[in-house]
Amino acid sequence: MSKPDNPRDENPKNPEELRFHYTPTDEPGAEQETQNAHAKDTTRVPAVIDALREEFGAVVLDVERYANEDTIYVEKSRIREVCRFLKEEEGFDYFVDLGGIDNFTAEDRYEVFYNLVSTERQKRLRLKVQVDEGDMQVPSVTEVYRAANWNEREAYDMFGFSFVDHPDPRRMYMPEDFDYHPLRKEFPQLGIPGSLPLPPQTPDGDLTMDPFAAAHGSQPVKSYEEPATDPDSE
Amino acid sequence: MPQTHKPDFPGNDLGDQFRFWPKHNEKIYERLENKHAWLEEKRAAAQGDGKPPATQRSEVDPLENEMILNIGPQHPATHGVLRCVVKMDGETIEKSVLDIGYLHRGIEKLAEHKTYQEFMPYTDRMDYLSPYSNNVAWCLAVEKLADIEVPERAQWIRMIMSELARISSHCLWLGVGMMDAGAVSGFVWTFQEREEIYSIMDEVAGARFTVSHSRIGGVANDFSPRAIEMIRDFVDTFPDRIAGWEGLLNKNRIWVERNKGVGRVTKEEALELGLTGPNLRGSGVPYDVRRFEPYLKYDEVDFTIPVREEGDCLARYFLRLDEMKQSVRIIEQCLDRMTEGPIRSDDAKEAYPSKEEVYYSMEGMIHDFMYTDVGTVPPKGAHSYHAIEGPKGELGFYLTSDGTGRPWRVRINAPSFTNLQAMEHMLEGEMVADTVVIIGSLDPVMGEADK
Repeated sequence: MSKPDNPRDENPKNPEELRFHYTPTDEPGAEQETQNAHAKDTTRVPAVIDALREEFGAVVLDVERYANEDTIYVEKSRIREVCRFLKEEEGFDYFVDLGGIDNFTAEDRYEVFYNLVSTERQKRLRLKVQVDEGDMQVPSVTEVYRAANWNEREAYDMFGFSFVDHPDPRRMYMPEDFDYHPLRKEFPQLGIPGSLPLPPQTPDGDLTMDPFAAAHGSQPVKSYEEPATDPDSE
Repeated sequence: MPQTHKPDFPGNDLGDQFRFWPKHNEKIYERLENKHAWLEEKRAAAQGDGKPPATQRSEVDPLENEMILNIGPQHPATHGVLRCVVKMDGETIEKSVLDIGYLHRGIEKLAEHKTYQEFMPYTDRMDYLSPYSNNVAWCLAVEKLADIEVPERAQWIRMIMSELARISSHCLWLGVGMMDAGAVSGFVWTFQEREEIYSIMDEVAGARFTVSHSRIGGVANDFSPRAIEMIRDFVDTFPDRIAGWEGLLNKNRIWVERNKGVGRVTKEEALELGLTGPNLRGSGVPYDVRRFEPYLKYDEVDFTIPVREEGDCLARYFLRLDEMKQSVRIIEQCLDRMTEGPIRSDDAKEAYPSKEEVYYSMEGMIHDFMYTDVGTVPPKGAHSYHAIEGPKGELGFYLTSDGTGRPWRVRINAPSFTNLQAMEHMLEGEMVADTVVIIGSLDPVMGEADK
């Protein structure tokens, strides 16, 4: 385990490395690849990995294992063919989940994972593709799995991937008028003031640009007259 | 900020009413105009090249049958802030576009700034009709990531409580479903049962609704004798209540005719659309995470997974009633087989110490402080997915760790989200009056779908 750089150091040993203010624990050990109190048989798919290697060769970049779960890294440009092969030849007929991850690294910053299930073979499998910040295009798998539609829209909304050939490239949660991708690591947790106008506080007033208007002293205009209070009565 | 654009409605001049998020509304109507109805796509896939014909802008409509209707987001029958924009031909829905996100709180983002234990109250507020299942789902996911073993008694307690949560959620679904079909009194009866479950939750966890009772590495506190008694009472009386509801509904002509053949999905379509939970099993796919990859002690108790082939709202009704009966069976077995023992892991890096330790020992207090401050620390680069069968379907968390006490990325696979996606297609071709029944039958919860 390497000692992390001192975050206050003027000249860190390796400035490329992310500097954390805390001590990261060790990498997972070899025994944690398969042994886990919650490990399931369903997530080990050696036969499928072999079949993928045979069919696609070098497209399968890497296989990772943790807690008895296989993660298969494949080349981004071929993800649609890989999915089609898995669906048609290997029986992975049920699409469960898709989402993005922001690793905040200089190269291959983002990852998109695909969680597929074969109901017949009782297997679950995770594919991953790596996406570089400079080229955010990912082939859409909606053509293969219709259920990927909303998940891809969500990943676009949250991370800004552009899914090529997606039939409905709109945002999922945030309104179209919003310009940012909130799950990226550089997006602040409290949001960006003014990025999302809120409804006006009076019927014909201006839109509210400050998300914390009340906290910043803005008093909403009341639509009714408050009864006059008598200071002597209390 | 001046909003100049106005949506181009056929036959409707709405003036400048859309000055709020104009692009958003514009895109929704654009999508509604351009999209192919599911039926069109299926027909095109069946014959020839698989490409549906280019959609034309709607032709002349001399009888003025066509209409665009916004159902929601503030509509009592949409079960939350769900907005359905539908294009209708007379009373039939031609195309529909759903707009969600009105309850988006960004909890995936929030999770990245919390320790694993701190995030748990947020899971209560995802599927707020069955908070306990969400707690269990979260705890199991973290336990898998950090490789924490949970004492046996805690597993039984979690199982009992998540099955109670399932019953509670299905009770709400039934009551609201009846109300959607016009039977308002049923709502009160199912809520009476929910009330009893609330009382049990209150006795067990100290909170009626947002319980947050499960803890990483175990549960917060053990059942009191009174709690066990209450659960037994509930389990004894509940089958009679189900029988009563069945007597009311099973042969009720209005109920059957409102539900039969409505919102029909075949097995292949259900898999293709990615339906999950009771909705998937109602179409004949026997996919249940409790059987597919058993967690807790589900591989040690005897229960069946109800499956129906019809795939319509009526099938989903029968199926959920059967599920409630199975839940009762599971709870009975759990109560019988529950063993005495610790309810939380006693490793200070895996779980909170008990209150006695915190109050009466120095180490206990330090551990409590450390666990609140840092908490569970999974290895750097570890990532794992754990799913449970929640009342709505497969609820999974895909966690990625960077070796600190806070998750690097939390991905929530919410069943309501996937079900709603399928509903966008299911609404097409149905009557507008049936949308209410279909929404009720799919049982989405917006807190979960919107994250």
